[in-house]
Amino acid sequence: MEENNKSYFGEVFHAVKSLATGLKITLKEYFTPKSTEQYPENRKTTLHVSKRHRGRLVMLRDENDAVKCVGCTMCEKVCPNGTIKIQTEMVTTEDGKKKRKLVDYQYDLGDCMFCQLCVNACNFDAIEFTNDFENSTFDRNSLVLHLDKEHYESSLPNILDGGAPLTIGKFNTKTK
Amino acid sequence: MFDFNIVTTWIDMFLRQTLGLGDFLSILIECILVGVGILVGYAMLAIVLIFMERKVCAYFQCRLGPMRVGPWGVFQVFADVLKMLIKEIFFVDKADKLLYLVAPFLVIVASVGTFSFLPWNNGAVVLDFNVGIFLLTAVSSIGVVGIFMAGWGSNNKYGVVSAMRGAVQLISYEMSLGLCLITAVILTGTMQVSGIVEAQTGPWNWLIFRGHIPAVIAFVVFLVAGNAEANRGPFDLAEAESELTAGYHTEYSGMGFGFYYLAEYLNLFVISGIATTVFLGGWAPVNIGIDAFDSVMNYIPGIVWFLGKAFAVVWLLMWVRWTFPRLRIDQILTLEWKYLMPLCLLNLVLMTIIVAFGWHF
Amino acid sequence: MKLNNIVFDKSSFAAEMAKLKNAGNFDYLVTIVGEDFGEEGLGCIYILENTDTNERVSVKMIAEKIGEDHVIPTVYNLWKSADLLEREVYDFFGIKFLGHPDMRRLYLRSDFNGYPFRKDFDADPKKNPLLLTDEPQSDYTVEYNLDSEGRLTSTPHRLFDDDDFVVNIGPQHPSTHGVLRLQTILNGETVKKIYPHFGYIHRGIEKMCESYTYPQTLALTDRMDYLSAMMNRHALCGVIEEAMGIELSDRILYIRTIMDELQRLDSHLLYIGCCAQDLGALTAFLYSMRDREHVLNCMEETTGGRLIQNYYRIGGLQDDIDVNFVANVKALCNYIKPYFQEYMDVFGNNVIMQKRFMNVGFLSKEDAVSYGVTGASGRTSGWHNDIRKNHPYALYDKVEFDEITNEMCDSYGRYLIRIEEMKQSVRIIEQLIDNIPAGDFYIKQKPIIKVPEGQWYFSCEGSRGEIGVYLDSKGDKSPYRLKFRPMGLNHVAAMDQMMRGQKVADIITAGAALDFVIPDIDR
Repeated sequence: MEENNKSYFGEVFHAVKSLATGLKITLKEYFTPKSTEQYPENRKTTLHVSKRHRGRLVMLRDENDAVKCVGCTMCEKVCPNGTIKIQTEMVTTEDGKKKRKLVDYQYDLGDCMFCQLCVNACNFDAIEFTNDFENSTFDRNSLVLHLDKEHYESSLPNILDGGAPLTIGKFNTKTK
Repeated sequence: MFDFNIVTTWIDMFLRQTLGLGDFLSILIECILVGVGILVGYAMLAIVLIFMERKVCAYFQCRLGPMRVGPWGVFQVFADVLKMLIKEIFFVDKADKLLYLVAPFLVIVASVGTFSFLPWNNGAVVLDFNVGIFLLTAVSSIGVVGIFMAGWGSNNKYGVVSAMRGAVQLISYEMSLGLCLITAVILTGTMQVSGIVEAQTGPWNWLIFRGHIPAVIAFVVFLVAGNAEANRGPFDLAEAESELTAGYHTEYSGMGFGFYYLAEYLNLFVISGIATTVFLGGWAPVNIGIDAFDSVMNYIPGIVWFLGKAFAVVWLLMWVRWTFPRLRIDQILTLEWKYLMPLCLLNLVLMTIIVAFGWHF
Repeated sequence: MKLNNIVFDKSSFAAEMAKLKNAGNFDYLVTIVGEDFGEEGLGCIYILENTDTNERVSVKMIAEKIGEDHVIPTVYNLWKSADLLEREVYDFFGIKFLGHPDMRRLYLRSDFNGYPFRKDFDADPKKNPLLLTDEPQSDYTVEYNLDSEGRLTSTPHRLFDDDDFVVNIGPQHPSTHGVLRLQTILNGETVKKIYPHFGYIHRGIEKMCESYTYPQTLALTDRMDYLSAMMNRHALCGVIEEAMGIELSDRILYIRTIMDELQRLDSHLLYIGCCAQDLGALTAFLYSMRDREHVLNCMEETTGGRLIQNYYRIGGLQDDIDVNFVANVKALCNYIKPYFQEYMDVFGNNVIMQKRFMNVGFLSKEDAVSYGVTGASGRTSGWHNDIRKNHPYALYDKVEFDEITNEMCDSYGRYLIRIEEMKQSVRIIEQLIDNIPAGDFYIKQKPIIKVPEGQWYFSCEGSRGEIGVYLDSKGDKSPYRLKFRPMGLNHVAAMDQMMRGQKVADIITAGAALDFVIPDIDR
C-alpha cells in the first residue's frame, strides 16, 4: 500500500488532469472511423468470413455428382456427440463382388460442436466444413440434414473464399 | 427580439373578449393549453434526447448506433416507445403495492415540475415565481422520494441498497446545486427565472462572463452536481447496472419503467436548461457589442438560442457520462462534502465580495 | 511431469504434510486430485510446489474406510486453497475430510444422490432426475471428526446469524462474468462474509473425458475457459504428448507459442475492457473490444474459430497457418502497440478508477501462495509464479520476455500487470513471427491413440493462472482419470478473505480485477 503523501491541492490537480486526459481521448475517438460492420446489409458486399470458419458440414461430390463417401462409418465412430448416423447396405456389384453402399448419411447440425474430428478421420476426403454460417431455423428438426441426398448450395456463395478482403486494423462500416 | 407575450395575450383576449368567457373558464382553458403544451414538449424532447444519447454514445464508442429502423435509425426511439407501451405491467409478490405504484408518478411529477420552470423564450415561462430558483430546487427534490419509495416498495434487496444510495446522494448534492444557483443569483439580484434571463440580455451579459472566475467555478460545480442529481454517470450509483442490476427500478416493467427512463433523460435536459438559464443567458442571443452582428443575432428566435445552448450542455454531459467510470458511494459523498461543498461556500463568499466591490463586468 | 507419488502412513499423514509444508517449504498446493483407484479404494493425489525452487512433488493418500464412509484428514489448516479443493473431492467422490469445517457439496445440488466420479456410480437418470424445484438450502454446514473410539461424528456449524442481511450476488448478475453465485452477508454496504456457490454451468467435462477417446477429449477443452482456449488445449495436448513421448517439430512449437500469446492478448484485452465495464465505463470497454476484434481476426483466419478455436491436436496442429498469417500478425503488433497507452489514458490513469481499484482486494504474498492465486492476480502480490518461467514448455525458454510482478497486492496492481503482460506478449510474438521454420505442422499419429500406463501432470500459463492437467492412464484409448486444475477456483476462494470489511461495490471491482471465467471453474 502506497503512502499517500500528496497534498490536498496536488491531489485535486492530479485528479483533474487525469479526467481531462480521459475526455481528450474520448473526444479524439468521437471523430475516428467507426467499427460497426452492418450485417446483414453487407452480407453480399463487404462481409468477410474466414475461409476456414466451421459453419456446417457438407459432403463433397465428384464430377459425376456422386458423393465420395463409401460408408466406412469412421466419422460416426469418432464423433463425440453422436451427430452423424450412417446407414449402409451390402450390394453385389456386376462382377459379383460384395460392396458396402451408403444408404443414408444423417448429420444433425443442432448437435454438432464443430470439433472437426470427423473431417480428420475421413480417409476419402468425402466431407468438409464450409463457412456458410447462416443456419438458423425456427425448427430444430430442419437442422437434421441428409448430406448424401442434398445438393448443397451456399446461401452466400460470395463468402466461400472469405468474401471481401480483410485488413487488420480496419473495419468496413459500409454496406456497399 | 420576439416577445412570446404577444401570443399569450392574444389567446387571453380571444377567450375573454371574442368568446366572452368568464374568468374561471378562460383560465381553465389556458391552463389546459399550457399543460398539454408542456406534456407534448416533454415527450418530444424525450424522444429527441434518447435518440441523441444513443447516437452520441455510439460515436464516442466507435460505433454507429441504431441504423436499422428508418434512415440512419431515426425511428428507433419510436419503436422503443411502442414496445414499452405494449409491455406487460406486472406486480411483484410481497411488494408494497401502494408505494410500488405511486413511486414512478412522483418521479415523473418532479421531472415535469422542474421542466415547467424553464424559460423557453422571451415571455414564455410557465411557472414564473419571484422565488423561482428556490421553488425549482424544492420541486426537483420530490424525485428523491419517488426513488426511495420504488427501491423500498419493490421488495428487492438490490432495490433497497439502491434506494439508500439514491437518497443519500441526491440529498448531498442538492447542497452544491443550491449554493451554485445562489452564487449566480447574487449577480442578478433576483430569483425570478424571467428576471435572471432578462438581466443577461445585452452584450457580454451572460452571467458566466459577468461573474468571471467565481461564475465559471459555479458553472462547473453546477454541472457536476447536476449530473449527480440527474443520476447519470459517473454518478449513476443508484442504478449501477453492473453492481445492482438496475437498482431501484429493477422490478418495474412497461410504462413504470418508462417513466423512470423518461425522467432520467428529461432530468438531464432540465439540468442543462437550468445551467443555460442561469449561466449562459437562457434565450438571450450572443451579443458582442457590435450593432450589425447583434441585430442579426437578435433575429434568431429565443427558443432556438435556448434549445441550442441547452443541447450543447447536454452533449457536454453525455461526453462526461460516456468517458468516466462510476464512483463508489463513499467516494461520491467524499467528493461532495470534502471538495465540492467547501468550494461552493468559498465561491459564494468570493462572489459576494466581487459583487460588493463591483469587480464584475 | 510424470508423477512419482510419495505415500504416507494413514496415521502420520497430517504430520507429514505439515512437515512438507513447513520444513520442505512446499507452500503452494497446486491441486488435489480425487481418484477412484479401483481395488485400492478412493483416494487423493496432492500436488505440491516449493515456491523457492519450483520443485514439485505429489503425495498419494488412500482414504481410510470407516463403515460406509471414506475419510482423510484435512489439510485445510496448512493450505487455505484446500478449503474448496477438498469440498470438490467430497462432492465427486464422497471422501469426507476430517476436521474440515465446511463439508458441503461444491458443484452438485445438495440433494444429488451418489458421488458421480466413483467408478461404481450408477448413472441411471431415474436415480437423479432433472429437478425443476429449488435447491434445498440449509443454514447449517457440517464438520466430520473421529471420536476417541474411531467412530465418525458430525458437528453442525451455523452459516448465517438471524439478523444477517444476505444478498446473493449472482448467479444471474451482470458482473460475475457468468453464473457464479456469491452469497454475501452485508452489514450496511460493508461485506462481512462471502460464501461462493458454483456448479450452475457444471458439465462434468472430467467425467465425460473418462468415456471419450483421447482425440475426443480435446474437443471439450475450448469450452472450459473460453478465453484461454489455446492454453487449455495446449495443456491437455502437452500431457498426452509427454506421456506418449511425441517429439514435435520446431514449426509446431513456434506456432503454438505465437497462438498462446495471441490468445493471452485476446484475453487480457477483454479483461481490460471488463474492468472498465464493471465500473460503468462502457466506452473504455468498447475500445478494447474493438481492438480485440483484430486479434480474433488474426486467429480466425488460421484456426477457423473466434471463441472455440479448435486448433491444437495430439501431435501438432489442425492445419498449417494461413498464407496471410505472418503479415496479419505483424500488422496487428504495429496496430495494437499505441493503444496500450490509450487504455491507460482513458481508464487506467483515471483518478476515479484508481480510487476504486487501489487498496481494494488486498492479498498478501503469503495468502496468495496459500490460496494458490496464480497468474497475474497472484503476481501482484510479488509471487513469481509464471509457469512459462518456472516450468518452461514450447519455446518459452528460448524467447526473451519479462515476468511482470509488483508488490501492490491490490486490484490496481492486477490491472497494471495485465497491461504490461500484453506488451510482453507482443514482444514474444515479434521475436517469433519472422522466424517460423519450415517443417511439419502435424506429426502423424496412429488412428487409435493409446497412452502408456502412468500418471502425468502438465501445466501451462493460462490467461489467468496455471491451467494444469492431471492424467492417469491405464494404457487404454480413454483416460482413466483426467483432472483439470481450474485457474479461477482459487481466485474465488480468496475472495472471502480479500473482501471482508470492504464495500459491496468493491466485490465487483475485486472480481473484475481477479479475472475468473466461470465455465473454467465449473468445468
